[in-house]
Amino acid sequence: MEDHILEVKHLKKSFYDSKKGREIQVLKDISFNMKCGDVLSIIGPSGSGKSTLLRCITQLETMDGGEVRVCNKNMVVPGSNPIRYAPKADLAEIRLSTGLVFQNFNLFPHLTVLQNVTLAPIRVLKLEPHSARIRAMRLLKRMGLESKARAYPCELSGGQQQRVSIARALAMNPKVLFFDEPTSALDPELTGEILKVIKSLAEEEMTMVIVTHEMAFARDVANQVLFMDDGVVVEKGTPEYVFGQSQNERLQSFLSRFSQNG
Amino acid sequence: MISDLQNLLPILAQGFGTTLAIFGLTLLFSIPLGLLVAVLKMSKYKVIRYPVAFYISVMRGTPLLLQIVAIYFGSYYLSQSAGADFSFDRFPAVIVAFSVNYAAYFAEIFRGGIESIPKGQYEAATMLGLSKSQTFFRIILPQVLKRVVPASANEVITLVKDTSLAQVIAVTELFALAKKQQAVYASIFPLFVAGIFYYVANLILSVFFSYLERKLNYYR
Repeated sequence: MEDHILEVKHLKKSFYDSKKGREIQVLKDISFNMKCGDVLSIIGPSGSGKSTLLRCITQLETMDGGEVRVCNKNMVVPGSNPIRYAPKADLAEIRLSTGLVFQNFNLFPHLTVLQNVTLAPIRVLKLEPHSARIRAMRLLKRMGLESKARAYPCELSGGQQQRVSIARALAMNPKVLFFDEPTSALDPELTGEILKVIKSLAEEEMTMVIVTHEMAFARDVANQVLFMDDGVVVEKGTPEYVFGQSQNERLQSFLSRFSQNG
Repeated sequence: MISDLQNLLPILAQGFGTTLAIFGLTLLFSIPLGLLVAVLKMSKYKVIRYPVAFYISVMRGTPLLLQIVAIYFGSYYLSQSAGADFSFDRFPAVIVAFSVNYAAYFAEIFRGGIESIPKGQYEAATMLGLSKSQTFFRIILPQVLKRVVPASANEVITLVKDTSLAQVIAVTELFALAKKQQAVYASIFPLFVAGIFYYVANLILSVFFSYLERKLNYYR
């Protein structure tokens, strides 16, 4: 168990639905593990809880039950019921070992590309501004954006903005990088550049969790695929298994709907 | 008429100095106070939120003229009945009244600006490990400033003209002096000249604010 970089056990999450006037359980009982260098893609219909799962693991939402361990640090006190979160210092440490790339990039519009990437390393990691800039330029170069360092986000295409946001996340040296539908807000012809970047990160054994609707990409880049529907993990395994051998009916119907819709 | 003007201008300029002092000091105090009030109004605690909402509604719901009178005379009567001996001088009373009044208006503008910043900005800052105050001062506030410039410009321009209300407790600002001169000359000419003072001041402010808006247009 010691070599797991991310462990999720029996994670549960409910939202209060004011229209229906009752609690809706969006995550019913989610468990999975990841080893260092794993790339996990999470697929499933909209509303299946994929994004909520990411948001619980990255602490943007609080969970109602279960356990999460990142780099062997507990996010909640083990066995506590109702759950109690770990002390603030531990949570902050866990947060720093996780990075998140958003669907809508969420770059800081008033800062240049370079400032977007260096802000947190300087303010949070307390890096020297000079060395933070050198590291940021290296990352931007990798993303093919070194010429845009002084530009503002509004001057960039969606694909370029998303690459900046990946550079911004990488600048914090996360142990696990999460992607919440990183290509959904992009024009179809721009998704390729993002997928290429993620693929190159996978080759460097970056541990990543990718929620995506790009089935071909989910199959190619990941070494584990998790299919969610209605708040539960329906199928889990290698891409060959999930996309080829599995006979699960819900998965089959999801995938066939997908190939119909292109 | 020219010689009238030569006599009038130094007198009115003196009053305009007082007007500028009210204007400048009010901005100096009401903008930071307004920011604080805006943040308090968004507090998750009702004990904080409700009194602040009440303060804003009174400030916006009653005449500034009345508020000036209330602060000048009211503070005196209150301290008397409490057995103390405190009273505002006229000028400080005006500054206090204007500041707490304008802070209420600025607070609502700032609150609107803060609430218009997308949630994703907070989430991105959180994920990068920025503290709450780092997020507010480095991410949120700079973007709020840009968004509140047009609405704030309105308030600032109104403030120039509102300064004339200070005469209600006999502070001799521009308009009060012009009125005195109206009696001296038995003509509305001094009032007309005072009007030009206000107009020119606001013209300069308008130019400044459109410059500021353009300057802040480097990003969307």
